[in-house]
Amino acid sequence: MTKRLVIPGELVTEERKKLGSHVFVNEGKIYSDSIGLVNDESDYASVVPLEGKYTPQEGDLIIGVISAEKFSVYTVDVNSFYQSIISKKELREIVKPGSVVSAKIYKVNELNEMELGNPRLFFGGEIIEIGPVKIPRVIGRDGSMLNSLKEGTNSSIIVGRNGRIWAKGGDLDLLRKAIKKIENEAHTENLTNKINEFLKKNSPKIEKKAKVEEEEMESEE
Amino acid sequence: MAKKEEKIVYVDSKGKRLDGRKVNELRPIKIKAGVIPRANGSAYLEWGQNKVLASVYGPRECLPKHTASPYKAVLKFTYKMSSFSVPDRKNPRPGRREIEISKVCGEALEKAIFMERFPNTQIDVTVNIVDSNAGSRIAALAAASVALADAGIPMRDMVSGTGVGRAGGKVIVDLNKDEEDAPDAVDVPLAILPNSKEIVLLQLDGVFSKKEWQEAYKLGVEASLEVYEKQKEALKEKYVITETKKGVEKK
Repeated sequence: MTKRLVIPGELVTEERKKLGSHVFVNEGKIYSDSIGLVNDESDYASVVPLEGKYTPQEGDLIIGVISAEKFSVYTVDVNSFYQSIISKKELREIVKPGSVVSAKIYKVNELNEMELGNPRLFFGGEIIEIGPVKIPRVIGRDGSMLNSLKEGTNSSIIVGRNGRIWAKGGDLDLLRKAIKKIENEAHTENLTNKINEFLKKNSPKIEKKAKVEEEEMESEE
Repeated sequence: MAKKEEKIVYVDSKGKRLDGRKVNELRPIKIKAGVIPRANGSAYLEWGQNKVLASVYGPRECLPKHTASPYKAVLKFTYKMSSFSVPDRKNPRPGRREIEISKVCGEALEKAIFMERFPNTQIDVTVNIVDSNAGSRIAALAAASVALADAGIPMRDMVSGTGVGRAGGKVIVDLNKDEEDAPDAVDVPLAILPNSKEIVLLQLDGVFSKKEWQEAYKLGVEASLEVYEKQKEALKEKYVITETKKGVEKK
């Protein structure tokens, strides 16, 4: 399976194929509308983009940061075109600007504005940002990549479709490096194996650190 | 009595120009995509002596709100010359010329972008001219279009262009400052969409005969397509290099 890199306005195919995403038709030929990868063997003429902002989709789980408090709502930065809101009725906990929440997108209108529901507040942890188009690679096929990340770094991870990853506990430095690696090599094949190797190579650090901590504890005793 | 002025030969008998280029030859172009990490998309371009830095932010909420359109995105293009980009210090306040160039370049880019997909938003494109030597608006446009593609904004096509004109009675491509200052100089910045060869920017400074214009147009389109190849290379290079540098995958 070879993939071809195309830029905006580059020809995808002259054949008549089913139209996938990120393509447009001009005079019977199919062109790409953004920089991305094309699979020529597929029945669909579609481009997997390598850059781009998050376009909200119904049913997606996103991670937002509270930006302000209004009379009956909180405004949330969702890393998309506009800010969104969460009702105080739904989010009963007291939150401050900067708090991290996850929410589900219930409705998207024609202006790409979204209605959020099911808010859940997170305590502690940190947010790692990545390009939203690369989120599918972080999750992997049937969550394979996510599982190996969880095993390799021993931290609890929640992935938002809007390009934000919330993580807590475990080796966060290693996780950050691994996600950086995924971002840089998102267009290459066989990524899960590479990340597995990468995690294996670097994981002894955790054990060493743990050992050192144990020894310190013992010596204190 | 009048002093005999020394005549400059702009195109010699061998078809060579002042800087040794051929009539239809561009100045060397170097483009790099993705140079500003905090921007959504960015590009750095060197075109002869021109040095240009372009950055793209957005699509994002359109502010002030009365400028927003519920039908399409608004492109806010800023062409900004640094005060040290020209031999005499340039007043950093945006002048008549910069405001005009921002307008025409913005309108040229609008033709290439699918603006209707992002209603109520704005796309900020800022181009900073660090060093200039004739043809900087076309350089700005070329860099901006690479930066837009790097930002992942859906586009019909890239925008590529070049300057064409006349110096010393000959039609030439991509004039530099010395040629632009020729007594009979004509300067035409020309930008096209490479696939359809549709003209998106055309300005004329001077007077052309019909025959000269037809020749200039032909040369200009050919040279613009060369610029397009450079833009294409620059965008693809961003992804190929990361592969080979780390020895992950060799093509």
